[in-house]
This record gives sequence, structure tokens and C-alpha cells, in this order.
Amino acid sequence: MRRSYLLATAAGLALACSPLAANAQFAPAGSGGPPSATIPGPGNADEPKENTPPNSSYFAGPSPYAPQAPGVNAANLPDIESIDASQVPAMAPQQSATPAREDWPAYGRDDKATRYSPLTELNPETVKRLEPAFVYHTGSYPRPGQANKWAAETTPIKVGDGLYMCSAQNDIIKLDPATGKEIWRRNLGVKYEAIPYTAACKGVTYFTSSVVPEDEPCHNRIIEGTLDMRLVAVDAATGAFCPAFGHNGQVNLMQGLGESVPGFVAMTAPPPVVNGVVVVNHEVLDGQRRWAPSGVVRGYDAESGKFVWAWDVGNPDDHSQPTGNRHYSRGTPNSWATMTGDNEQGLVYVPTGNSAGDYFSGLRSPAENAVSTSVVALDVKSGSPRWVYQTTRKDVWDYDMGSQVTMMDMPGSDDTPTPALIVPTKRGQTFVLDRRTGKPILPVEERPAPAGNVPGDSRAPTQPWSVGMPALRMPELKEKDMWGMSPLDQLYCRIKFRSAHYDGEFTAPSLDKPWIMYPGNNGGSDWGSMSYDPQSGILIANWNASPMYAQLITRKKADSLGLMPIDDPNYKPGAGAAEGNGPMEGTPYAIAIAPFWDPVTKMLCHRPPYGMITAIDMKHGQKVLWQHPLGTARANGPWGLPTGLSWEIGTPNNGGSVVTAGGLIFIAAATDNMIRAIDEHTGKVVWSAVLPGGGQANPMTYEANGHQYVAIMAGGHHFMMTPITDQLVVYALPDAIKH
Amino acid sequence: MPITNNRTLTEWLTLLLGVVILLVGLFFVIAGGDLAMLGGSTYYVLCGIVLVASGVFMLMGRTLGAFLYLAALAYTWVWSLWEVGFSPVDLLPRAFGPTILGILVALTIPVLRRMESRRTLRGAV
Repeated sequence: MRRSYLLATAAGLALACSPLAANAQFAPAGSGGPPSATIPGPGNADEPKENTPPNSSYFAGPSPYAPQAPGVNAANLPDIESIDASQVPAMAPQQSATPAREDWPAYGRDDKATRYSPLTELNPETVKRLEPAFVYHTGSYPRPGQANKWAAETTPIKVGDGLYMCSAQNDIIKLDPATGKEIWRRNLGVKYEAIPYTAACKGVTYFTSSVVPEDEPCHNRIIEGTLDMRLVAVDAATGAFCPAFGHNGQVNLMQGLGESVPGFVAMTAPPPVVNGVVVVNHEVLDGQRRWAPSGVVRGYDAESGKFVWAWDVGNPDDHSQPTGNRHYSRGTPNSWATMTGDNEQGLVYVPTGNSAGDYFSGLRSPAENAVSTSVVALDVKSGSPRWVYQTTRKDVWDYDMGSQVTMMDMPGSDDTPTPALIVPTKRGQTFVLDRRTGKPILPVEERPAPAGNVPGDSRAPTQPWSVGMPALRMPELKEKDMWGMSPLDQLYCRIKFRSAHYDGEFTAPSLDKPWIMYPGNNGGSDWGSMSYDPQSGILIANWNASPMYAQLITRKKADSLGLMPIDDPNYKPGAGAAEGNGPMEGTPYAIAIAPFWDPVTKMLCHRPPYGMITAIDMKHGQKVLWQHPLGTARANGPWGLPTGLSWEIGTPNNGGSVVTAGGLIFIAAATDNMIRAIDEHTGKVVWSAVLPGGGQANPMTYEANGHQYVAIMAGGHHFMMTPITDQLVVYALPDAIKH
Repeated sequence: MPITNNRTLTEWLTLLLGVVILLVGLFFVIAGGDLAMLGGSTYYVLCGIVLVASGVFMLMGRTLGAFLYLAALAYTWVWSLWEVGFSPVDLLPRAFGPTILGILVALTIPVLRRMESRRTLRGAV
């Protein structure tokens, strides 16, 4: 005890001597001089034209008209031709529309993305006997000399005799669902250089063709979007490329995006197929430059791979592919989350992020401001928005939409339920909309928000609050919420808290001193999304309370820190990009950002819990049924050392849940590297097991040979600092394993 | 303070504890002063002053040093309970370490007494 206290004392003293050295990225108040760029306005706020003189700064990216770097068109595919939406063949009934009881045919199990399975073999009693049935190694993990950018985040799908999944670098694999034996594997050769923020492949899409007869190859196919921006279709039975799709099974999604380099743009989410149109979105690396590649969302014919439409925010009336030297409008909001398709409404629900240059909004166009950090319902026939619901106005907090939205039938005052959409957000505000119109079903209040802190960038006067749903957030931070192992690090965090601007959730970005973002970009609901049991009406949400600490910095200071966009010719990997400090080139400022933590002990500055799980009764007034911290301290502690404590402290979590008719919730997500089964009705943990790596993925469940299995990718997550592995771990009861 | 060549191990450890308390006290005064200037809690700077005095007196071999630490510890508990109540999670950073240190300080009281009486004897010669 005494020894650890002395260590803490030493750490505290080190902090006392160098509070700024430990935080060198955050400029002390008043340092760095005035911004070197002028405040933007009419005339300098437009995307560069072809004849605009190139920015000659050592720290600037090339012109958007510059040719794409080698490797951007990863498979050197020719351009894809366009067809009219009327030429898209009528879609055959899909497995995900009415999933077989024993299957999990889509990322969110069904078209509604409920993550609900009707299986009952596992219940709060039988689950206690769950054991590992098999482990599959995907082979994708950081090799020596490669930076750890891994977080597989994979959820397999299961249809009939196959468990289909992707490796973190997009190799497509079919496994025997009962034994884990590899049936086929389609390697796609995605290079390390193509990994953006994270090597992730959340899943693949199962599609049944209406054109190819049932007994021919590619009648059933697996469709996947890759990190290096290919749309790939392979035969579900053999893994062979589908020759009639694109160019021998592949489409180059970098077509029309203009200048880029490998790793700038990537697909990590499974694309939905809606009325025969496969819809693709992509992630654009945050914080790089104002005129980053476009966040365009596109539709392709799921049969032929041919281009159908584009939704380009900067050119809302032009749905065609750019020709010649043209490209989709740059810097527009990107969408990286998993989309949800609605065949009945003919819509795809697109969760959007904010425009490029994330923390400065002064250069954004009104068209961008209208659709950022929103759910956009695109008509899959035309690619035009039918409605837009915005969850944060003029977002400069990176509250981009990470969750896949879930469809449900909301009981109304009469007997006809309203077709509803559950929209989780990083703010922890969950909006419930009518999916026909995008209008809120539950009350939403407009509340005043703080004004801006930097010239030339005003903030929205109000922000929407979904007061009809329980808020998945903690109260606003106070100085006394600062935490630590001892009064020394607690004192350090109190000073850090008092040194920053903080006026609640919408504290505006600032240049003079840091500001606190809480819930922040890792808070609330993220890509794990929610699960919904339509029988019991219970909605399961796991969420985070982990603030960020950020400061706008001048261009001069950014240059001195060596910040440059990923496509700068002088950029070297590891030289400060990848979602931490970002150059935001083309805006007046750069961004310094880190978790609100003690950088020496790597402990968050505020008191736990940092991660929670909540059950909400959607049928009886949206009340919280139960709520408790998620994740123990066993694998976490100061300096990243595991404490081994079973204290349910509530760790940060990433990844979602499954809910079953057996009355169980399966969830890993927490940074204690465990998977748990929780009783849906009481919230009690009834079973848990330690995973070989971090369980930052959505689990899934299925039946094979008459027994229920639970699968989780224990791939870990680099940002969550959990162990990286390439292992898919699948559990079952001992009776199933004997067979 | 006269330097003698027959210090025992417990006396050296007592002096080491005095150094630790002095350093913690200095950190409290300096960083706690910053915090108070930023409009934050004044507990740290006030407690720091007592801790500095405690450390100095312990290094002088005076029992008063130990009692000053115990006074600071009492202040710490009162302040912690006032700020966060009986919440174990919140008492952990505030009171746990100081209490462990307090036990060690209590153990030094006989040592300090011995040092004090020896000095008194020597002074009387």
C-alpha cells in the first residue's frame, strides 16, 4: 500500500513539475500569436477550382484536381458504367426480410436491425453452462513494424449452412456454423497502407439474386465494401467472384472522388440492399483538411454492380457520376455508420457525420449544415432525401452518428402502431421518429446553446433535446467530480478542469484555452447501436461517459507540431494524423485533442462509471427498467496495469448487444475483455467469460444442429487499448460441443 | 539540528516520511494555489500549508510534525465528507492515501519522542 502511494506521490510530483510538458499540445493561454490565416468569408470559403493556384505550404495537401495516388484504385479496375434506376431488376425476397428462426442473416439480424433473436435454448438458467465451442483465427493483426490500427469490430452473419464473416482486412470467409471449420476463404489483398483510422470490417451482406437462377453460382452472394474502397460480390456457396457484378465481381468506389491517397477514405460497414440497390457510404479520415474527399453516398445495382445514383450534398440536383476531371463535392459530411434499408418505404436511413475540418464550421455551406449529424432518409430510386432529421446543429463536437438506426412499431393511442425509427446519438439523446416523415413521435425540446468562442464561427442558438426518452448521459461535470488514485492526481485534474472552458454539452470550441466536450465523440451511443426486443418492448442501450479535452490551435502552432493532412506529399505515417491532433488544413485552425485524462497514469480525470447499460420499456412510457455500470476494473488501472478487481466500475465500452427470446442479453464491449449474459428483465449478470482479446464488436447468436451458439469477435480495439487478436470465439452448451 | 552518528533505521524512515510529507505539502501549496486562483477549491492550498509545516517539524525531529499531519488528516476527512458524503468511490482519491500515510505517521510518534528526549538530554549536558 505504502509503496503504491509513494509511486503515486512520485507521479504527482512529476506532474507538478511539468503540467504543461505532459500536455504540450495544449497551448497556454495567449501563446502562439494570432491565427496566421484570415478569417474566412465570401471569396475564400469555396472549394478550390481547377485553376486555383496550389497551396505551396509544406503542410498543405494537393489540389482536389491532382491525380489519385497509386494504390487508391486498389485493384486497378476500369470505370463502372451507369444505369437508370428503372433498369434495376425487381428484388427477390431476401433472407433478412423474414429471417429463419435459426439464422442471423444481416448485420442487425433483420431488415429492422433489431438484434433480436427468437432462440430460447439459452435462458438465464441454461446459460450458466455455456462453454467455448470453437475459435477461428482470421489472420489479420498488426505485424512487426506496423502501427496498431486494429479493431476488427466484426459481426458474422449466419444463413443456412454458413457463418459468413470478414477479417479486419476484408478477406471474406465462410465457416461451418457448428464446427468453425473454414469452408472457403476469398482473400482480397487489402494492404496495410489502406487502413484509415482503424482496420475494421463490421460485416458482410447476404443478397439473393432475382436474375441468376437458383442452381447457378451467385444466386446467393456475399457483398462487402472494403477498406480500400472496393465493392465486392462473391458466390455464397464457393466464394468465387461473381463475374456479372462490376468487373469480375468488383467495383472501384474511388471513381469520381478526385484526389486522394490510400487510407484517406474507407468502408467499414456492411452496405444494405434496398429494393435491389446496394447503398454504399464511407468514412473520411477526420480532422485532415477542409477539402477532403467527398462524403458522397451512392447506389449501385446489386445484380450488375452498375452505378445507379449519387447523393452529393454539394450538387444536390446532379445524381450522376462525375465525368472527365470533375469529382463529387469535397469536404461534405461523411457517413461511416451502418445504414438501415426500408424496402417498404423505399428508403435508406443514412446516419451522417459532420463536414471535413470537424471543429471549425465557419467554412461550411448551408447545404452541408442542413444534413450534417442527422439521419437522412434517401429515396433509393433517385438518391434524393425524402426527409432529414438533424440531431446536432452545426456540429463542432464530432457528435457524428455512429449507430445503426433500428425500426420498431410504436404503439399509438389507437390500435394502429406508428412505423418508428429509433435514432441513438453520441449525445445520449435518443430520438424516436416516424419513419415515413422523419417527424419526432416523442417530444423534442429546443434548448438554448452557448454562443461561439472564435471569430467567424457562430454557433446555433438552440439544440434539440429528446425529452421523451431517458437521457443516456451523466449530469454536467463539476470540479468535485474529478477523480484519481490520490489527492495528487485529483488535484492535477481539478486544475485541468478549471483551466478549460466548460458550459455544458455544447461548450463552443476555443482558441484561448482548452474546452471540454462531454459526452464527447466517444460518449453516448456509438456504432454498437441498440438492440430491441419486439416481444417485450425492451430497448437495450450501452453507452459511454468519457469526455474529451480539446483546443483549437493556430496554424503556426500546428505547423510547429508538424501537423499535416494525410495526403500532404511530406506526410509520414504516425506524424500526427489519425483522429487525434488534426491539421484541419484549409481552415484557420488545427485541433489538439485527447481524452480528458491524466496523461501520466492514463486514467480518465473524472469519477467512474465510464460505461453503462440501460434497459428502456418502450411500450409503457419509455421508463428505465434497470441501469447499471458495465465492465469491471479487472483489466484496467493506473498506467494501464490490470488491477484484477471484480469491482463493476463501469469501463468505457465499444460494441453492442444482442437480445433473445430466451430473456438474455449478450454483450462484450467493455474494456475488461469479458463477454456477459445479462437477464433482460432484471439486469443481473447471469454468465460471463474472459475473452482472449478485447470484445469490441457486436455479438450475434444462431442455431446449428439444433443447438444455440453465441459468437463474438474478440479483436480488441487500438483506441480502447484492449488486446488485439484475430480470434472469433463461439460459445455453446456442452451438449452441442459433443456432436 | 545536531547530526549524530547513531541514528537508527526507524529514525531514517521517519525522516524519509518527513521528506515525503514536505514534498506533498509543497505540491499542495503550489498546485493548490493555482487551483484556488482559477476559482477552484481552497482545500489543497490550506492543507498544503499545514503539510509543509508538518514535514519541516518532522525533519527537525519534533513530535509536533506528526501531530500537524494528523490535524491535516482530520481536516481532510471533514472536508471530504462535506464535499462528497459517504461515497466510497469519491472518498478513494481524497482520503485513502492520506489515511495510509497517517497510519505511518502515527507509528513515527514514539520515534520522534525518542529523538526529542535525546536532544533534550544532550541540550541539558
